[in-house]
Amino acid sequence: MSIELKNDYGQIEISNDVIAQVAGGAAIECYGIVGMATQHQIRDGLTDILRKENFAKGVIVRQEENDLVIDMYVIISYGTKISEVAYQVQSKVKYTLTKTIGMPVKAVNIYVQGVRVTNP
Amino acid sequence: MKSLNGIQFAEMVQMGAHHLFQNADYVDALNVFPVPDGDTGTNMNLSMSSGAKETEANAVEHIGKTASALSKGLLMGARGNSGVILSQLFRGFSKHIENEPALSAAQFAEALQHGVETAYKAVMKPVEGTILTVAKDSAAKGMELAKTEEDLIVLFEGVVTEAKASLERTPDLLPVLKEVGVVDSGGQGLVYVYEGFLACLKGEKLPEKHAHASISELVSAEHHKNIAGFMDTADIEFGYCTEFMVKFEKDKQQFNEASFRTDLSAYGDSLLVIADDEVAKIHIHSEEPGKVLTYGQQYGSLISMKIENMRQQHIDIVGEDFKKDAVKPNAKHPYAVVTVAMGEGIADLLRSIGASYVIEGGQTMNPSTEDIVNAVKEIQAERVLILPNNKNIIMAAEQAAELLDIEAAVVPTRDVPEGMSALLAFNPSATVEDNCKLMSSASKNVKSGSVTYAVRDTSIDGIEIKKDDFMGISQGKIVVSDASLEMVTEELAKKLIDEDAEIVTILYGEDVSESDAEKLAEFIESLNEEVEVEIHNGKQPLYPYILAVE
Repeated sequence: MSIELKNDYGQIEISNDVIAQVAGGAAIECYGIVGMATQHQIRDGLTDILRKENFAKGVIVRQEENDLVIDMYVIISYGTKISEVAYQVQSKVKYTLTKTIGMPVKAVNIYVQGVRVTNP
Repeated sequence: MKSLNGIQFAEMVQMGAHHLFQNADYVDALNVFPVPDGDTGTNMNLSMSSGAKETEANAVEHIGKTASALSKGLLMGARGNSGVILSQLFRGFSKHIENEPALSAAQFAEALQHGVETAYKAVMKPVEGTILTVAKDSAAKGMELAKTEEDLIVLFEGVVTEAKASLERTPDLLPVLKEVGVVDSGGQGLVYVYEGFLACLKGEKLPEKHAHASISELVSAEHHKNIAGFMDTADIEFGYCTEFMVKFEKDKQQFNEASFRTDLSAYGDSLLVIADDEVAKIHIHSEEPGKVLTYGQQYGSLISMKIENMRQQHIDIVGEDFKKDAVKPNAKHPYAVVTVAMGEGIADLLRSIGASYVIEGGQTMNPSTEDIVNAVKEIQAERVLILPNNKNIIMAAEQAAELLDIEAAVVPTRDVPEGMSALLAFNPSATVEDNCKLMSSASKNVKSGSVTYAVRDTSIDGIEIKKDDFMGISQGKIVVSDASLEMVTEELAKKLIDEDAEIVTILYGEDVSESDAEKLAEFIESLNEEVEVEIHNGKQPLYPYILAVE
């Protein structure tokens, strides 16, 4: 499954994995994000923090007509304002994808799968 | 001043918030990172005002209680990246002093330091050259001064001076800032807050607005935002970047900044106006630069004009973007994880999940103590965790840790899967000791299996083994042996994979092909449909397969 862009010279196909990598990479640079999670809730409540090559599992990319829709599963640091961190991720991911892939992003949906507690 | 109470602290917060509010526009203008949307100042100001309001409403003599109010107000009102970071800084600060009625200079410095530690814990990849760096450097300075200085004002003066110096250094750490030619906006915001604190401590008044002599920083930040917004030259609506100064004259129209701004904004965007009593500096992107200049002439004579065609420039920039060399940050690893692997595929994999340095073992795969020490020295680590990934290297690694004159600890990982799990648990904001515990327990969460060749006839654990046959090893025990690689591997997989398995990683060696590995993956999926299988080319010798089951 991939995203197709057409121009005068032919077409460009960008695989979903690439988009997931870019989106995931942008997300983990955001303040307050301590990891990406899988979309399957983990049986014992422990959310595995995904490593880079697994971003695709925590980032679901769909194409609706000519727009991208992205679902992201994240883990956020306890004690931060979760709504605000999620909003920052949305804005950063949207900006990064538009800049690098040149395709409008219709929606970035954030699913907070867990919080990580560290003692302040 | 030897001691600070809650009422005084509340006044400091008010002044810090006010000073930030006064300069929020300037902070907005600097905002180019992480997203150049020019709202850092606005967001920080909203966050800080919310903190100041809560502090004012709950200010008491007891500084611990007052600081808790600030922390709560900041958390509730946190907006934007910088606002969230600000709230974390003061969350750590207030947590540290919650039981203190008043603070000495040393306690104040410790609380700042604690705030920084808390802020760093809340992010996976802290980006240096931001508000985090400014907070860190200035808190470190405070700790240093606290050893000898008992006066709060003198100490905090040192903190503010260092914060400003650190802010000036941000472009050296964050390439995008250097490219654009600005300092970090969030860092600038923090400096304003601290300046407000200091002025309050000293009982001074701050100028209502900072006189920013240089418009050039603002202009380059504006341009950066613009460029970032245009994917295509055709998208540029206002094509001429127009900069000029108006020298006011008595017989011309009286200058009023607000109406001047409003009038000009009709001609384009990216408008910047900076004025004093004698001149106004103007920057605007417009499609009709002539009209803009004519408008300016109503107020006086024009000096130093510059008009550029941005469409032309944009074509050049878009072409150049791919050639631009990023400013390379130092390849030092102050906090490093050094590990061992055989096979360049596995080495790449370990590097990709955070290993600072991978010692590649050869056939025998046993690096010496000296090899490990040299690796740590090569990357100039200041603190290091060593992952041997092999039972037979644990000893050498422990000796290396003793020989090194830096903080070093060994996480006794017995194979590559354990090493991978341990690496993933590495937390750059935790101490070496805590990381060692965290990573060791994480490494136990993975079940490892491997397939290798027998070097002689033997019988182990009740299994007959012939020379050159394949052996399946699960969790360090031989569980199956046969001449058929496929059979051994499948038996091993059955042993390892139960209904609890979630992710299986296959690292295939130099003696097997990718299609063999894919067959194995299909077999594993047939055992348990819930399992997600990943295949990596580990290129390791001697072991056709290494399996990690989580």
